[in-house]
Amino acid sequence: MRARSGTWTEDLAAVGMSDPVDPRLEDLPVPVSRRRKRGWPSAVWIVPVLAVVAAGALAIRAYLEAGPTIEITFDSAEGLEVGKSDVRYKNVPVGKISSVELVPDQPRILVTVKLERGAASLAVKDSRFWVERPRIGVGGVSGVGTLLSGAYIGVDRGTSKEQVDQFVGLEKPPGLTHDQVGRRFRITAADAGSLGVQSPVYLRRQQVGWISELALSPDGKRVDIEVFVNAPYDRDVTDTAVFWNASGLDVSIDASGLRLDTQSLATVVAGGIALGFRDGDPPGRPAAEGAQFNLFEDRAHALARPDRTRLPLAMRFHEPLRGVGPGTQIDFEGVRIGQIDTLNLGYDAIRHQFFSDVDATVYPERLGAAYAALVDEGKRRDKAGPEMLQALVARGLRAQLRSASLITGQLFIALRWFPNARSAAPVVERDGVWVVPTERGGTDQIQDQVESIVAKIDRIPFDAIGGDTRDAMHAATSLLGHLDRDVVPTAQQLVGQAGAAMTALRDSLGALRDNVAAPDSAIQQTARSTLEQLESAARSLRGLADYLQHHPESILRGRASGSEPR
Amino acid sequence: MIRGVDLQLASCHGCELVIRMRDVDHDAIAVCPRCGAPVRFRKRNASSHVLALVVAAAALYFPANALTIMYTEQFPERRADTILSGVKFLWGRGSWALAAIVFTASILVPVLKLGALGFLVISTIRHSAWRPRARTRLYRALEVVGHWSMLDVFVVALLTAVVQLGQFARVSPGPAVLPFAGVVLLTMLASASFDARAIWDLDRGSGRGGYE
Repeated sequence: MRARSGTWTEDLAAVGMSDPVDPRLEDLPVPVSRRRKRGWPSAVWIVPVLAVVAAGALAIRAYLEAGPTIEITFDSAEGLEVGKSDVRYKNVPVGKISSVELVPDQPRILVTVKLERGAASLAVKDSRFWVERPRIGVGGVSGVGTLLSGAYIGVDRGTSKEQVDQFVGLEKPPGLTHDQVGRRFRITAADAGSLGVQSPVYLRRQQVGWISELALSPDGKRVDIEVFVNAPYDRDVTDTAVFWNASGLDVSIDASGLRLDTQSLATVVAGGIALGFRDGDPPGRPAAEGAQFNLFEDRAHALARPDRTRLPLAMRFHEPLRGVGPGTQIDFEGVRIGQIDTLNLGYDAIRHQFFSDVDATVYPERLGAAYAALVDEGKRRDKAGPEMLQALVARGLRAQLRSASLITGQLFIALRWFPNARSAAPVVERDGVWVVPTERGGTDQIQDQVESIVAKIDRIPFDAIGGDTRDAMHAATSLLGHLDRDVVPTAQQLVGQAGAAMTALRDSLGALRDNVAAPDSAIQQTARSTLEQLESAARSLRGLADYLQHHPESILRGRASGSEPR
Repeated sequence: MIRGVDLQLASCHGCELVIRMRDVDHDAIAVCPRCGAPVRFRKRNASSHVLALVVAAAALYFPANALTIMYTEQFPERRADTILSGVKFLWGRGSWALAAIVFTASILVPVLKLGALGFLVISTIRHSAWRPRARTRLYRALEVVGHWSMLDVFVVALLTAVVQLGQFARVSPGPAVLPFAGVVLLTMLASASFDARAIWDLDRGSGRGGYE
């Protein structure tokens, strides 16, 4: 208003200067005049304008940063605190809990959350919220951080565009969040085993995914499992892939011995699904999202080639089949070509005999090239399958129960050749099933032999033998008594006589020594002279021999003169 | 009561020299012969200045109180406090004295200061004759109290510098610190700009009354 007004002269005028002034005032210093610079409008009002703009900007920013307020209902608000617990997306705080209250008429808790502006995109229709707490599950321990920081609300951002502000919270973290890249596949299993949500999925013993959902099928007959396979491994899941339950230890004892199989130590505890491919299957195309698979009970079943040709067989055994049951192998020339499906005990009212009817399934394709050759032969001879089987039976093919291992007692049924078998019973068809004649089993024979050995041992008259032995001992005792009584005195006499005889003998020997061994005895004298003569004779002979050696011609010519034998 | 201006006397703002205001051209300004500062009967546009600064301070007062002034991270907790919530927190912890100090220094004093300055400047503009002596005393009191109004800013600055224990405890200033500092600064400037002499310009005649 008066910003530009201004010089002091005007001010003076305003005051209405009139009265004469005190003359002493004349002595006061007077100001110096200076040229007025060009006046600017007062800039001071820029300050409040700036301040208002700044405050307004802060207010607008605060308003904009205040994201949407949403309401979530939970079964339990354990650990949630107003003003302290926050909402976290990927562990980043995106909002605060502003109130926790009861839902009227419902046993639920209503949690009001103020989201930050940047997190507004979390408030869409398919977002999911859950309370993150420490959890110990089969797949590991989660939410340990919340032990110190307190519970918080986790959120999984949905993909929908529809903004909503009311949600129903989950009680558990979801198995699969929207931001994970990969594919989901559906697997149908006969039972869940020890599988659970978060159980791992392995490909070549490398974890590539996990179970995201697991629930009974609506009819309760199967278990529907949804697995999630992470990118990029999801492309490895082709339509020829097979899944099997890799939970726990797979211990199997069968005709091939004891086998122990596991994917990893974790699966022993937590369970898991393994994924693989059968040898010889085509590579296949990557399976589509949501593709359907079956869960095999173990690796062996999963990786076994699917058997296209199934040949049901029936066998009747007239021997006890203890240790045989569904699943028992059927072996042909060492190849496991099938297994027993059912086993029924029957009674033959005519012969008053029990027997066992065995139904089995044989997969002839497992014979490989041999089966192809057989089929070829059948075609050449224009014989159909049963006739071929008839021919094989005519050549002595029989089913026989055999023992694979005496230690485990594992049994199997072998289709073997018995060239000397009884005349071939014709292969009969019963309800479309071909009945193969049987032969008494090897196991049975062994048992029979053992039994007969036991029977023979049993027949040995151990009692009688014992009695005889006792009699013999009695006889021996009486014999000894007799000896003691009759023989000993005689023996004593004999000893006395023997002593006298010995004395006489010693005397004789003394005389003999006197006669023979004394140096001056006649025998000695005679013997010495004889020996001396023998010695001179030997000396002569030696001279003769030497001479002859040097002069062999002397034998013919006589002794040369002047040469004496030396 | 006769005033200096009535006798054409002014005092230099720079060196307090009393000057007789005469022999100055219409187009010129008067300059103190001793120190060279411009000489006026009253501070130039004082009321306008003060009013502008008070309005600005008032505008900043709202964000200063509504926004977070201090973040404290004390593992595992992270707090974001406005001034008022900080006072509440201190009060709740039983530190009543501290809460009272912070409340007085950070909330009450700025409000009172803004109110008082506003009252002074408006009454001055209107040449109110209402108890000029009391108003002058009020102004003096404002000058004394004003020295302490930066307390909050100092607290935040000090804590930020001192409490930096990595993950365990950390204090960082929030967005309200700048508006708050602005409030304090502007009120200080406003009270400095205010010319207490104008309280006594009880000009009953011209209706203008300014001796700037």
